[in-house]
Amino acid sequence: MFSVRSDLPLRRDIANRFVVWLVMVLVFMSALAVTVNSYVDVLLDDWNRSVTGTLTVQIPVSDAGDKAAQASAAKVLDVLKRHPAVAKANLVPRAKLTELLKPWLGEGDAVSDLPLPALVDVQLGDDSPSAIAAITASVKTASPSAVIDDHRVWLARVMGLAKGFSAVALAIMILVTAALGLTIIFATRASLAEFATVIEILHVVGAKDGYVAGQFARRALIQAILGGLAGLILYAPALGLIAWLASRVDPEVLPHATLPLAHWLALAALPFVAGGIAMVTAHITVRRTLASKI
Amino acid sequence: MSLLRKKAQAFTGDSVSLTGVGLSYDGGPEIFSNVTAAIPQRSFHFLTGPSGAGKTSLLSLMYLAKRPSRGTLTLFGEDVTQASRNRLAILRRHLGVVFQDFRLLDHMTTFDNVALPLRIAGIGEAVVQRNVSELLNWVGLADYMTALPAVLSGGQKQRVAIARAVVNRPKLILADEPTGNVDDAIAERLMQLFVELNKLGASIIFATHNQSLVARYPFPRLHLDGSAVSILPPLSTARTES
Repeated sequence: MFSVRSDLPLRRDIANRFVVWLVMVLVFMSALAVTVNSYVDVLLDDWNRSVTGTLTVQIPVSDAGDKAAQASAAKVLDVLKRHPAVAKANLVPRAKLTELLKPWLGEGDAVSDLPLPALVDVQLGDDSPSAIAAITASVKTASPSAVIDDHRVWLARVMGLAKGFSAVALAIMILVTAALGLTIIFATRASLAEFATVIEILHVVGAKDGYVAGQFARRALIQAILGGLAGLILYAPALGLIAWLASRVDPEVLPHATLPLAHWLALAALPFVAGGIAMVTAHITVRRTLASKI
Repeated sequence: MSLLRKKAQAFTGDSVSLTGVGLSYDGGPEIFSNVTAAIPQRSFHFLTGPSGAGKTSLLSLMYLAKRPSRGTLTLFGEDVTQASRNRLAILRRHLGVVFQDFRLLDHMTTFDNVALPLRIAGIGEAVVQRNVSELLNWVGLADYMTALPAVLSGGQKQRVAIARAVVNRPKLILADEPTGNVDDAIAERLMQLFVELNKLGASIIFATHNQSLVARYPFPRLHLDGSAVSILPPLSTARTES
């Protein structure tokens, strides 16, 4: 049976009350880092899925006028539709283009009068590099000024940004773990000094170092879990505020994402991970300190 | 006291034996440098000597809180000079220690203080309840089981400390000025407890500077003076009643 009896007088202990507060702040920070990381992951996954297997062909506004541009676009569309590697090719309607530009340029005559390139949205049946090269060659023959974008450069850069976010989140987790470990080490040493007489008595009546270490470890575990739960309680309104602020931003600029179950499980695990780290650190600290005596 | 009578002496030889033992703190000057003495089983010795002669240090060697800086220390026939910390902890469970300043855990009740050695040794709670109650009865504190040490008198605290020291049925009881903080009448009562424990089979080393107490009991004296130790005959020739 798990005993809650402790041989250490808890109420007098200041160093370890500080642990609860510190773990609260650390878990709060970790929760935010995990959330940013998860959000960026979901976003990228979304973008990645929506652009894989697609091409955009752009036929720039021609000096020869709208008519020439439209003829050129029709020709490109025809070539694409007949190409074996292409599953589907559609001319993006002008209304959709102005819609896409709306968040950036607004509405009105300035936008509707703007000369816009023709855009062809292509779904690929075969997205191998050789198929893309063949399509590119055909399109160039039909309209030498056409620009083909397979999104790879764009995607690579966004992926780079995402990896940056992940690295920062990982760095925060490492720093937080180090801060937790150091805090536990110093708090445990402070209590060891504070309770030197109690520990001496425990030794005199036959306690092994492992028993004494267990007393400190169990307390560190409980305090870190309490602090961690407090950190999550603090995190909830912070997440709510950010989610509300994000919901007011146009989804074309900042897509709304649903965070996966794994994210919430990871968050829920944070207090217990902190508890485990605190427990092991306290145990090792006590054993090392005691072993250096007599 | 049936509880204390049960334990058979499962070793041969002396309870404690010291051979050429010296002790210094952190490489400083030696408090004593060449102590040789043997404390037989079931014996009772006063530990006497002027203040600062090292009585407390000698006892702390015996209850394994310190290691000798030289020489050999044997406890219950086992050389403990190089024993591991875990082994020392196990050996301490066969010792009872009583201090002048009681050293009770102030946040624990009388009962929990006495139960501590048993619980640390992993004894089941049913046995703990039975043995601790019996012992508190024996020292006359059955009515104070749930009291915290702060509300007890000096004599009562020392009886709790004695109960804690003997709850593991120790083969050797080390007492460091146990009557130093109580008046003479209470000192006499405490002394009776130690005499009874000795009759029940434990060897006892009783450090004191109370000459009148030493003069009233027929026990030999382990006398520490300068850096030497000698065993002196009892001051009293009176016999303790059986």
